[in-house]
Amino acid sequence: MYYTYRSDLSQVRALVLKHAREAGLAEGKTDDLVLAVSEVAANTLRYTQSAGTLAIWHDEKEIVCEIHDEGIITDPLVGQRDPGLDGPGGHGLWLVNEVCDRVELTSGADGTTVRMRMLLRPSEAGA
Amino acid sequence: MDLLTTSVATVESEGEPYTLVELVGEADVTNSDALRDVLDAEVAKEPRTLIIDLSGLRFMDSSALHVILRANRAMDRLGGVLALAGPREAVAKMLRLTAADQLVPVYPNVSDASAG
Repeated sequence: MYYTYRSDLSQVRALVLKHAREAGLAEGKTDDLVLAVSEVAANTLRYTQSAGTLAIWHDEKEIVCEIHDEGIITDPLVGQRDPGLDGPGGHGLWLVNEVCDRVELTSGADGTTVRMRMLLRPSEAGA
Repeated sequence: MDLLTTSVATVESEGEPYTLVELVGEADVTNSDALRDVLDAEVAKEPRTLIIDLSGLRFMDSSALHVILRANRAMDRLGGVLALAGPREAVAKMLRLTAADQLVPVYPNVSDASAG
């Protein structure tokens, strides 16, 4: 499923919610995935002048939400550090890394792609 | 219909009167400026207690959280108290993850919040 958004983050969240439920993702992890995708999509609004694209797919093991936009991230450790609550912001990507099972971020001249993965069942490792 | 509606009341309780800001809907980057304006206006009136009722909030993102923490710092400076009431599970978890619940008291409902 592909969806192109500009400012309709509520619709982005509704799509993630719908697909996560269809895929059978647990309720709490569904909330986490909705938050993560919304935070990444919010960065499209903050840092770019153009639309972003949301793609969602799943198999028997995991559900994946991918956001692509024209923004360029130059900090290789973006979202890896706890920004602290008294700072000017920057909680978005940190939260994304906190709540998702796996996050892959690639950024270059073509823009930025963030792929957020959630396991549909807890693994043997208890993840 | 607006994504986020805010309503403000001054509540004359048995104890101190307090300001109650009720948020209903979804709070995100698309309405955080409007939320900031509402909270700034109430903080400027220097109430002793400002309670934000989150029970009607289906979603809150980090930009809305920042606006609330900004209001919390302003209330601190003015010697007042800001409290959050009734967050649903998704919002409560976000407050825990960011440790915002260590900075702002969070109560299960408005009446507990107003009792302090």
